[in-house]
Amino acid sequence: MSTMLTVPSDVSDPTPTAAAVLGAGQRGQRIRRRRRPRWAIGITVALVGLFTFAPLYWLVITSLTPDADVFAFPPRLFPEEITFDHYVSVFADPAIFGFLTNSIFVSVITAVLSVIVSMYMAYAFSKFRYRGRKALMYFVLSSQMFPQALLLVTLYVVFAQFGLLNTYQALVISFTTFTLPLCVWMLKGFFDALPDDLIEAAKIDGAGHWRTLHSVILPLAAPGLVAAGLFAFVRGWNDFIFALTLAGPEKQTLPPGLVNRFIGEAATAWPALMAASLITSIPVCIAFIALQRYLVGGITAGAVKG
Amino acid sequence: MTALDSARPRMKPGRLSEVGFVSLLLLPGLALLLCVVLYPLLRSLASAFFNESLLYPGVTWAGFDNITAVLADGFGDLLWQTLIFTVGATIFPFIIGLALALALNERFRGSRMLRGAFLVPWLLPGVVVSFLWMWIFDANYGVLNGLLLQAGTIDSPIAWLFQTDTARGALIIAKTWNSFPWIMVMLLAALQSVPGELHEAAAMDGAGPIRRFFAVTWPHISGVAGLVILLEFIWNFQHFDTIFVLTGGGPAGTTSTFATEVYDTAFKGYDLGHAGALGLLWMGLLMILVVVYVRFSERGEKH
Repeated sequence: MSTMLTVPSDVSDPTPTAAAVLGAGQRGQRIRRRRRPRWAIGITVALVGLFTFAPLYWLVITSLTPDADVFAFPPRLFPEEITFDHYVSVFADPAIFGFLTNSIFVSVITAVLSVIVSMYMAYAFSKFRYRGRKALMYFVLSSQMFPQALLLVTLYVVFAQFGLLNTYQALVISFTTFTLPLCVWMLKGFFDALPDDLIEAAKIDGAGHWRTLHSVILPLAAPGLVAAGLFAFVRGWNDFIFALTLAGPEKQTLPPGLVNRFIGEAATAWPALMAASLITSIPVCIAFIALQRYLVGGITAGAVKG
Repeated sequence: MTALDSARPRMKPGRLSEVGFVSLLLLPGLALLLCVVLYPLLRSLASAFFNESLLYPGVTWAGFDNITAVLADGFGDLLWQTLIFTVGATIFPFIIGLALALALNERFRGSRMLRGAFLVPWLLPGVVVSFLWMWIFDANYGVLNGLLLQAGTIDSPIAWLFQTDTARGALIIAKTWNSFPWIMVMLLAALQSVPGELHEAAAMDGAGPIRRFFAVTWPHISGVAGLVILLEFIWNFQHFDTIFVLTGGGPAGTTSTFATEVYDTAFKGYDLGHAGALGLLWMGLLMILVVVYVRFSERGEKH
């Protein structure tokens, strides 16, 4: 076991923990008898709940409010009528539709590429021992600590030299690279959980390195590959600063696209922006729900095998 | 030592050696990291010592001119502003996350559902979080002004994001909303390692909830709590999205941080030399934090 790398894998990689926590109820529940400060729990949940859900409510309600009522004073917490016009207009807007298709395209390619590159890397970190292994793992881990705004400055110049500015390639290459550390760490965990006997058995049966990896190991790590892919998808989908700078107007994804389309106008079209925001958020929420199930599955499977 | 030594078959001719195989596995990932992370990083830092602009070609040696210029030109303010944002956006989410984790660690009807529901602000894309709070803080029609006016707390609408005394607070509130769920999840995971028997024993000895927290709970979660605070601090120290969208560093530069300042210097001022100098100082400070983080996690590993 490496010394430091197991701790950051738990810490900098929130979702397995999230899944463990959210799936915790599946474990046997013990009945504990002790005094609990119930009123304190109630007040905490109520206050944090108000702070958390009031803005979310406002996000949803604004997106359903007719334009005429948005600028009403006092603000209507409960709208007199609701409309889905803003959702229709968002999808009918060719610019936003372009951002949406760019986002989907770039994020999917990023996810596929990230999984391919990171699964090989993770396998090399998990199942082999060689000189420089730890140094390389430190390097991969630390690369996510470098400030993106700083890297971007030179990356812009480099991409310009190679004629990659305002292309999908620029986005896919940068997203994939910045997703690598997390994906490698996730997948290393999955490979670590697979017993070395599997590899030995495959070797004795005469399978070469590639065959062992592709026919024996990767199918068993499939839930991990899916999870890493979804993670990479979300990363690409959510990125703002790289898409803002490297993509140009044509290839821009939703986050910078919506900023350029809506912010800074004389009167921002808030209901439409809120509708577009909700549409932007949906794939991320779906990915998380899917991710959670795969991860809980992976964790419980690992526990059963002991 | 090698996991596979015992099973390694006699090498067949033409078959890839283990070293060759591992090299091929690592090659694509390392190539990407070298080209997209390491080289840009080193070149950005090196540009601190050159006069370089996005506007015209050619590079000339500048020595320490860029660094002294940056240090002389409001560096103290920039560091102070970055620290205010970083500390605020770390402390408030931590307090809220800890309180909520303690509350939701108890089993009551709906506690599992709430654990999921409270994650939503963290799931939303950073830009969406920014849009939402921009609308809430809107100077004319924002719901915050509306509610405060109705309640009689304020007499006239406040331009929260455009006033020097409120913009920072507004940013920290938006970031707090976005990041406390992650802290809650991490602390909840840590709380599950606290043995219930210890609590029962402490309760039987007559310890109240607060005593039990400090005597039983905190020692079990302090390691994770420390890591969470450090990581949040590191991330906030380089945070860009919320600040850029909500205030763009304004009003009058009072909310600009290293991240927005480096971005503006490079892409609005086109001055790569100054941006590199800022980045060099920024990275220096960040490396201190990262070293602390590595030490911290190594120490945690040994226990």
